[in-house]
Amino acid sequence: MSQVSHDPRSARGDSSTALAVEAEGLVKQYRGRGGTVDAVRGVDLHVYEREVFGFLGPNGAGKSTTVRMLTTLMSITAGTARVTGVDVASEPDLVRKRIGVALQEAGLDPRQTGRELLILQGRLFGLSHADAAAKAAELLELVELVDAADRRINGYSGGMKRRLDLASALVHQPAVLFLDEPTTGLDPASRLTVWDEVRRINDRGTTVFLTTQYLEEADQLCDRIAIIDEGVIVREGTPQQLKSELRERRGLDSDPTLDEVFLDATGRTRERKAGEVQEVAG
Amino acid sequence: MSMVTEVNVLGTRALREAWRTPEALAPTLFIPIFFLVVNFGQAGKIFPSSSTDFLHGQTYAAFTLPSSLLLGASFGTAALYLVEEIEGGYFDKLRATPISRSSLVFGRLAAEGIKTVLLTAVLIILALPFGVSIASGPLGWALLLIMTSLWSMVFVGFMQLIALKTRSAAATNSGGLIFFPLLFLTPNFVPRDLLTRPMEIAATFNPVTYVMEGLRSLILEDLQWTAIGRGFAVIAVCGVIMVLLNVKVIRNYD
Repeated sequence: MSQVSHDPRSARGDSSTALAVEAEGLVKQYRGRGGTVDAVRGVDLHVYEREVFGFLGPNGAGKSTTVRMLTTLMSITAGTARVTGVDVASEPDLVRKRIGVALQEAGLDPRQTGRELLILQGRLFGLSHADAAAKAAELLELVELVDAADRRINGYSGGMKRRLDLASALVHQPAVLFLDEPTTGLDPASRLTVWDEVRRINDRGTTVFLTTQYLEEADQLCDRIAIIDEGVIVREGTPQQLKSELRERRGLDSDPTLDEVFLDATGRTRERKAGEVQEVAG
Repeated sequence: MSMVTEVNVLGTRALREAWRTPEALAPTLFIPIFFLVVNFGQAGKIFPSSSTDFLHGQTYAAFTLPSSLLLGASFGTAALYLVEEIEGGYFDKLRATPISRSSLVFGRLAAEGIKTVLLTAVLIILALPFGVSIASGPLGWALLLIMTSLWSMVFVGFMQLIALKTRSAAATNSGGLIFFPLLFLTPNFVPRDLLTRPMEIAATFNPVTYVMEGLRSLILEDLQWTAIGRGFAVIAVCGVIMVLLNVKVIRNYD
């Protein structure tokens, strides 16, 4: 693995060294019909407080599996994980109180209204009905869904659902927000809106752990990134550090793009096939 | 937050979900009434109330009403909503909250129980014009609603188990069909002592038989505590098994 830097302070210009997310030798194995599948094979992660950390990788690389383990949604086969210093395996409820989770495919109940969903979420995090209703109103304003608040979610557009999902993950003011591919399937305008929300949330002091397949998104939003491939971390550092490392290693005249860093890290190349540029395993 | 509050919050949401899906609610009323009408229409003359001892002076509709009540209580739509939630990702959202894993199970069960109380009351009222009366009085009415409602919770627990294990709507739906053989391996047309010997043996081993006999005793006779007690005992045993299995599965859910 090419490990460029662990320290986000240079990227953010702050002095926080406390870890928001920590994983050591994280492993996930599934027992399938064809035998044991190693989905994650010894991942080490260090995410500092208040940073936006990007977790990148091709489809099936182990991104979502890692997030599901860190968010208590999946058991850990081996290794340890701590979120805000709390062990994920031994104290899952305490971890749940400190994290917000917005997974792929905006998990929402289509038969509720946006407001009902946020109030319910608040209640499940221990707020009284009045406090949950007040928080819901505040969040609906934050994600610009006030006009649609009392409409059922099944009538929302993809972008509105994403924003509501994001709001629902913030109802209890989590210390760490996990976003699993928050902009997949969104049109460019909706994607930019979600980016703005993520920046705003991070500005309020929330650590953001973001998985994405979009390199531009990582470049725009993340202080540091890690690239995972076939269940192991293959690069880690700030976007600029990773680009500089590749430029120096290859003797390039200018900085490569993050796409090129990604392709280099995952051993993939781009070839013209059937008239289209495709990414293929190298 | 206490588990009672968690169950209340999740149960209220599940009830709202049911209320907002009348197209899923309608069959749970229509099909049991359809069976009541058809069974009564086909066998009402064979078993006239004046000369059929086991009817205790009521019409055959009163005898067959428990089958319809149990059918109405065994649709398990809540489990299908659960699969939808699993497939749509909302179940993970709920699992990521710091609530008891058991509340995730009990919330839906409680909602199913309340929904069944209302549906059962409507079914009984719709059966009254067919010459049905509740011989055990107001307490019998209440026990009838409670027993049917508890059965619905047991059955939806079974369906939820399939939903959590398979995460498939098709498998959960098919699993629900298991109730039909169980419903017909009972004394649903005639009392147990009038069944053929192999059928009587099958019915004796079928737990649904005792729930049906309990319900029937409440409709046809004054309070018969032995039959009522057996019905509740079967529900209690099946209920404990279902709850334990559901909680185990949800705690190990990956």
